[in-house]
Amino acid sequence: MKSLGNRPLDKPVATGAAGGGLEWWKTRRTRDRVLRVVSYLVVTAGAVVLVMPFLWMISSSLKPVHAVFAAPPQWIPDPIMWSNYIEAWRAMPFTRFLINTVFIIALGMTGEIASCTVVAYGFARYRFPGRTFLFVVLLSTMMLPYVVTLIPTFLIWRWLGLINTFDPLVVGAIFAWGPFHIFLLRQFMLTVPIQMEEAAIVDGANTMERFALIMLPLIRPALLAVGVFTFQAFWNDFLGPLIYLNDMRKYTLNLGMYFFLGGPAEPPQWHYLMAMSTLLALPVLLLFFVAQRYFIEGITITGLKG
Amino acid sequence: MATPVDRLEDRRARKGTTMQPHAATGLRFVLVVIGVIVCMTLVRRGLMALGMRREAATGFSLITPWLLGFLVFTSFPMVASLYLSFSNYDIFRSPEWIGLDNYRRIFTRDIDFVPAIRITLLYGFLSVPIGVAGSLLVALLLANDLKGIGTYRTVYYLPTVLPEVAVALLWRWIFNPQAGLLNRILLPVYRLLGMSRPDWFGDVPFVLPAYIIISLWGITGVNMVIFLAALKNVPGHLYEVALIDGAGSFRRFRSITIPMISPVIFLQVVRGIIGALQIFTVYAFTQATPRAGKFMSFYIYQTGFQQFRMGYASALAWILFAIILMLTLLVLRSSEMWVYYEGEKK
Repeated sequence: MKSLGNRPLDKPVATGAAGGGLEWWKTRRTRDRVLRVVSYLVVTAGAVVLVMPFLWMISSSLKPVHAVFAAPPQWIPDPIMWSNYIEAWRAMPFTRFLINTVFIIALGMTGEIASCTVVAYGFARYRFPGRTFLFVVLLSTMMLPYVVTLIPTFLIWRWLGLINTFDPLVVGAIFAWGPFHIFLLRQFMLTVPIQMEEAAIVDGANTMERFALIMLPLIRPALLAVGVFTFQAFWNDFLGPLIYLNDMRKYTLNLGMYFFLGGPAEPPQWHYLMAMSTLLALPVLLLFFVAQRYFIEGITITGLKG
Repeated sequence: MATPVDRLEDRRARKGTTMQPHAATGLRFVLVVIGVIVCMTLVRRGLMALGMRREAATGFSLITPWLLGFLVFTSFPMVASLYLSFSNYDIFRSPEWIGLDNYRRIFTRDIDFVPAIRITLLYGFLSVPIGVAGSLLVALLLANDLKGIGTYRTVYYLPTVLPEVAVALLWRWIFNPQAGLLNRILLPVYRLLGMSRPDWFGDVPFVLPAYIIISLWGITGVNMVIFLAALKNVPGHLYEVALIDGAGSFRRFRSITIPMISPVIFLQVVRGIIGALQIFTVYAFTQATPRAGKFMSFYIYQTGFQQFRMGYASALAWILFAIILMLTLLVLRSSEMWVYYEGEKK
């Protein structure tokens, strides 16, 4: 019979393959398992190292003065001094600094997001002579170090008589000063099929309607990503306020922190400083947990298509 | 005695004066927005009147905000700062052309320049490669499909989310010579080596390592996310083919992963150089001893905005710019040898 005749030939090969495969599979599986455990250990160790400084900050912020320098270090403060936060906040007009910061962020974000989106739309959807060249110029400004333009920009604002106002920190945002954000939005717009806009044109929509009614709703994730980045950039900005603001009533939180810190000679009060640092970190952390997706997406879009 | 009404009025009055700068800026902001919109309309109308196609004119009008900003806040300042770098300018008198004097002085008589450029470059040369390699390693680790890896990714991203000011202060506290966490943890090591606890920001040889350690804390951030995405984008069939050919995991990493993500590595290196050589906020808040050298951007700030030597500061800025440009071009030139672009003809 055919099957009988085939068997002697087939079987050794089959069992050999199966046996060999099984062993190979077995070792591979144990290897995978070991690798997996090692990976977990390394990843967890890394996470601990990363989070430790952060926890130390929170822990220090809640300690009574005498425990701040205690040896061995206390991780869980006893008693927990919530009052550190109130005392630190009251040590300087931080409420005023917060109002100023929020004001700057509100105007700056509005200006930046609106202008960058419009410019990105121009680059993404309209053909005009020199478009590629101008876009390359725009990209190359991403590589331009800010120190080169710092002094003349300051002189422009001084010439306009606007030093010690919020203007230098926010008005520039109207001119789409974030090449990175224009780039991100444009990349995202290019992924939107043009047919939808073409249909709108057939229906008689003008540029504005096409942009506001068709494009904007479709690029919501990119807009949110840019929003998150812009917020972070304004929240982090220290050099701008340092150069342009010299009246304490106009200080931002970061600038207030700089003066709260005092000169190198003054020993800083660490429990207060850590309380303020924690407060500074709080809004960004909250934003991150709420909008994590957009952080990551935004980074991914720009990082890969650069 | 002030009645509650008086106090309320008083508060209103005070609020009126303290909110004035906000209102003024808000008003000017709105005016500039209207101005820009008017400009955009004029550009469109003007170009169409000159006979340009409707589409092209609209395109130009849409990029007008950026174009204006580029001319006013980028091109003009570039030219102006180059001019200033050849002049003596203290803000109060008009700039005076002094030729190459600023540069001559920087390279021959400035005792702060050499330490500043040394620490800035050393920081760049050490932190950029460590940062790029480190974030790639972390990304490789987190690219594994482990259970709960999403939570880990969130945790790993935490340090980069923190504001720079908070990060700087936090590390200054960790590096505190007496009570800092790091010196306490490393105490047995110090004993073993027979050394006393270092004052990280006070002892010259420890300043640079301290800043490198701070930069290490950030390697898990943006770069890692980009690498993670890049790793995900490498087509799986390449690995399958390599596996069939009997390539080991290191070989697969070297011959598939690295070439496939090399454009991303290239971008990270370039961005890393630009970022690292301009470190400012962290230095301002940690206040390390100036004997170790001030970072260039801080030195430029001090010269320009504390001593009002705007011409001299511009010359310093141009030197830093030239260095950044040279390094970027160097990386760009070398990229032909190691960066692989898919779809590129060989």
